[in-house]
Amino acid sequence: MMRRINKNAVEFNFEWLFAIVAGATILILAVYGVSRLGNTQRYQTDTEIAKQLAIITDPLQAGFAEGVFSKIIFNQDTRINNICYSEDFGKNDMSVATKSGVGSEWQDSGGATSIHNKYIFSDAASTGRDYYVFSTPFYFPYKVSDLIFLSSDSNEYCFISPPRDVENMILGLNMPHIKVNNCSDNGNIIRVCFGTSGGDCEISVYGSCTNSCGELGVYNEGYVEKFDRSVKMNYVGNLIYGAILSDKGVYDCNVKRLLYRTGEIAEIFSVKAGLMDSRDCSTNLNTDLAILGEISKNDTVDDLFSLNPVIKQIEAKNEQEICGLW
Amino acid sequence: MKIQQMAFMIIAIFIFFALVAVFFLSWQTRSLKSDFGAMQKEQAISSLAVISDMPELNCDSKTSLCLDEDKIRVMASNYSQRYSEFWPVASVKVYKVYPKEQFEQIVVFDSGQTNVEEYSTFVSICKKLKGSGYVYDSCNIGKLSVGVKLPEVVK
Repeated sequence: MMRRINKNAVEFNFEWLFAIVAGATILILAVYGVSRLGNTQRYQTDTEIAKQLAIITDPLQAGFAEGVFSKIIFNQDTRINNICYSEDFGKNDMSVATKSGVGSEWQDSGGATSIHNKYIFSDAASTGRDYYVFSTPFYFPYKVSDLIFLSSDSNEYCFISPPRDVENMILGLNMPHIKVNNCSDNGNIIRVCFGTSGGDCEISVYGSCTNSCGELGVYNEGYVEKFDRSVKMNYVGNLIYGAILSDKGVYDCNVKRLLYRTGEIAEIFSVKAGLMDSRDCSTNLNTDLAILGEISKNDTVDDLFSLNPVIKQIEAKNEQEICGLW
Repeated sequence: MKIQQMAFMIIAIFIFFALVAVFFLSWQTRSLKSDFGAMQKEQAISSLAVISDMPELNCDSKTSLCLDEDKIRVMASNYSQRYSEFWPVASVKVYKVYPKEQFEQIVVFDSGQTNVEEYSTFVSICKKLKGSGYVYDSCNIGKLSVGVKLPEVVK
């Protein structure tokens, strides 16, 4: 008995099979390509935002003001990473990741922008839609740089019994993320106690300055304790804000960078003193500046207290000079 | 025969998509380069105030857009190379423009980059002098010029 083979049916099935396989392959490749393109686009946008962050923080620096406060508003939740490197002048590598409604909510951050000429104090990674930028100058004894404190709207602080200078700065600049004395019952608020005030606090600030303390008074020099006293950060002058508002890693690194720059500026002042001498406008700060230039370049946050008396001595000498260097 | 037609069709579709991808990527690269250039220019312009206020160049910590002539000369001698990574720009030059007879160009920093676009602002250039028993600032009118780091053109 012979079987009848339907040739048309075989042809039809193969064509369909081929079309389905080829079509599916094209579709899969297209979907894969579009998703890769989307990721690349997000990476590019995040990289551009990081670069813009470096640019827009230029006019947000204190300059000749005692303090400057500004707000950066993003269109969607944004994560800002701050990796600090302390070798020589060091740098803050800032990278950004934006939250997306399509695909994975958070993908890897975009390319980092290296910022060598700014000192950005923040958490190593912070997330929020609004970011607060507060800047104040750092003198040691001359102006070394402006300090930039970056914090997201997810961190709210309450300062309990701060020194008058700190209180005036915060109230004067009207910073919405820092309350003074009037702490709400909001469980997320970070309580910052000055001295032994307030009792149960996440952050405690202690002052130990005894002479030539300036406007910050006893809090011109001291240390900050965080997380049940497991973290201790030394500060002098306006570094007090950095110790309160940033991670220990970022803080220690930026302080080391600032001390290195202090040393470089000391050397420049030392050579400038020589040029002024030749114009009969002499100073006797040369030796002190040469020593400061030598030691502070290798100093770290642990050396702040030992360096501070030297700084105060140089400052006092400069004030007495007719041809002051700064 | 039909399979052959289909295969040709598939190849044609692939070529079409490949061409679209090439055009898209070239447009994307052009737009990325132009964005980068625009941001570099923006940074150079905003850097003018930042650089003039740097304690390494500034007269004192109270006067904006005022450069200390002594510091400029120190930086121009051999110090600025230590700052090579530090500058957010490709070059920093200072011109003493008034009085005319004292015209001078001082190159504070030059990265050696050839493809540079310059932006400038007027500044005071001062130095401390002592005369008749008192100290005073002698100032000239100057221009601070910074060069934008543009992508190098490969020849």
